[in-house]
Amino acid sequence: MIEFDNVGLRYGFGPEILKDLSFGIDPGSFHFLTGPSGAGKTSLLRLLLLSLKPTRGHIRMFGKDVTSLDRDQLLQMRRHIGIVFQEFRLLEHLTTFENVALPLRVRGQPQEDYRANVEELLEWVGLGDRMNVLPALLSGGEKQRAAIARAVIAKPDLLLADEPTGNVDPDLSERLLRLFVELNRMGTTIIVATHELSFLKRFSFPRMSLIDGALAINA
Amino acid sequence: MLEALFGSRDKGFAIVPQTSVAGRTLMLLIAIMTFLSCVTFGCVVLVQQSAVAWSADVGREVTIQIRPLEGEVMESNLRIAVELAEATQGVTRAFALSEADGEALLTPWLGDIDIADLSVPRLVVVQLSDPADADLAALASHIADAIPGATLDTHALWRQQINAMAGTVVVAGLLVLALILIATALAIVFATRGTMSSNREIVDVLHFIGASNRFIATEFQGRFLSIGLRGGAIGGVGALLFFLAAGFVTGAVLPSPSATQLTILFDRFLPGLTGFVGLVGVVVLIAALTAVTSRLTVQRFLAQVAP
Repeated sequence: MIEFDNVGLRYGFGPEILKDLSFGIDPGSFHFLTGPSGAGKTSLLRLLLLSLKPTRGHIRMFGKDVTSLDRDQLLQMRRHIGIVFQEFRLLEHLTTFENVALPLRVRGQPQEDYRANVEELLEWVGLGDRMNVLPALLSGGEKQRAAIARAVIAKPDLLLADEPTGNVDPDLSERLLRLFVELNRMGTTIIVATHELSFLKRFSFPRMSLIDGALAINA
Repeated sequence: MLEALFGSRDKGFAIVPQTSVAGRTLMLLIAIMTFLSCVTFGCVVLVQQSAVAWSADVGREVTIQIRPLEGEVMESNLRIAVELAEATQGVTRAFALSEADGEALLTPWLGDIDIADLSVPRLVVVQLSDPADADLAALASHIADAIPGATLDTHALWRQQINAMAGTVVVAGLLVLALILIATALAIVFATRGTMSSNREIVDVLHFIGASNRFIATEFQGRFLSIGLRGGAIGGVGALLFFLAAGFVTGAVLPSPSATQLTILFDRFLPGLTGFVGLVGVVVLIAALTAVTSRLTVQRFLAQVAP
């Protein structure tokens, strides 16, 4: 599903943030992405989200060389990817329901087709009674759950999550991670960037470790 | 086409915020620009229509002026003038204006003064069947030979001046209209860029979840077209009220002689059916200008930001 071949990344004329990354991610796999702050985790996630192009090397995703795709093709390919941002990035003027339904709305689906699915997912993540509330009135944990619901509502082939459990209590963290595991069982490829050592110990998924821009994968 | 212009509201909730300070500012700006455009256009139409009407009316008539001279019998000279005029090729009818009619013509310009004390020429109105066919040179020659102090006024110089003045006003008005439209387009570009910058987070999130630039442009396009139509309608209605108020003022508020002058020049200061249709056209033009300008600006903005 994902192949990196000698990929390097630098911003402008600065030093290389990511160096000689060569690895493959199989469809349906689950990986944790770890590393100290500043190691390049977010930059790697941005490469995987297709919001950055590598300064050297090649990236193949979903069978295509992404470095040769034009803007419209990149945006089209992004519909296969769900993303959970560390800072949530919910739209402040939309309700929880509308934020979560946004990926389906963008795909042109009528509201009557997705209303039940969105409501069911919101119930599942514990936001059933917060559907019509604006993000400004949600707690950090509620925003995080809404952001995760938005990332998974369109059943993406690849789910990227940047510290998805950073703002929730341990019980909810466990529950959200189990949601990711459930999605993975249904075929979604998942990469979760996290500092939570407890998860790394409890779940025996491969770990991608970034240190000073270099990557090591521990099975 | 309509979906591309207004956005696909039937698909669900509106993604672009419906109210914002930038949106209200843009709507006010468009309303003011539309008002100025409509008033300029209405005045141009008013002057142009009036000039055409004046020129046509004046062109179908010439006037024989007979100045009162000592030793000359005015009534006899008037009869001769009428006979000479009626004998001229291309003349339909000729008649002398009475002293009262002559005074009535001067009253709107001079006010209620005693005209009897003035040495006012008497007039013979000569109506032409076809101004191009009439032998006015022969008539002028015969009049000058037969009646001392008589001249033929074909109003040619006056018509020329009226046409030149009206043409200048129309060209200047259209130039002002063009400048207003250019200023409007530039203001819309800046306002649109400001709105897009303040909504950058929405654009970024939409890009991250796979929205195409076309989808985002359509969502914003609907918002800007709505602003353009509402601003245009407010400005257009304002201009309409302005002309109705101006018509009311000329008819009811101004003192009678002044009102009569304005009424003679501009009828009831209303641009007529053509003018009102034109005002609607200006409103539609401004709304279309808003839609096209904002769409191009949005597309340019989206092309510049990373997806």
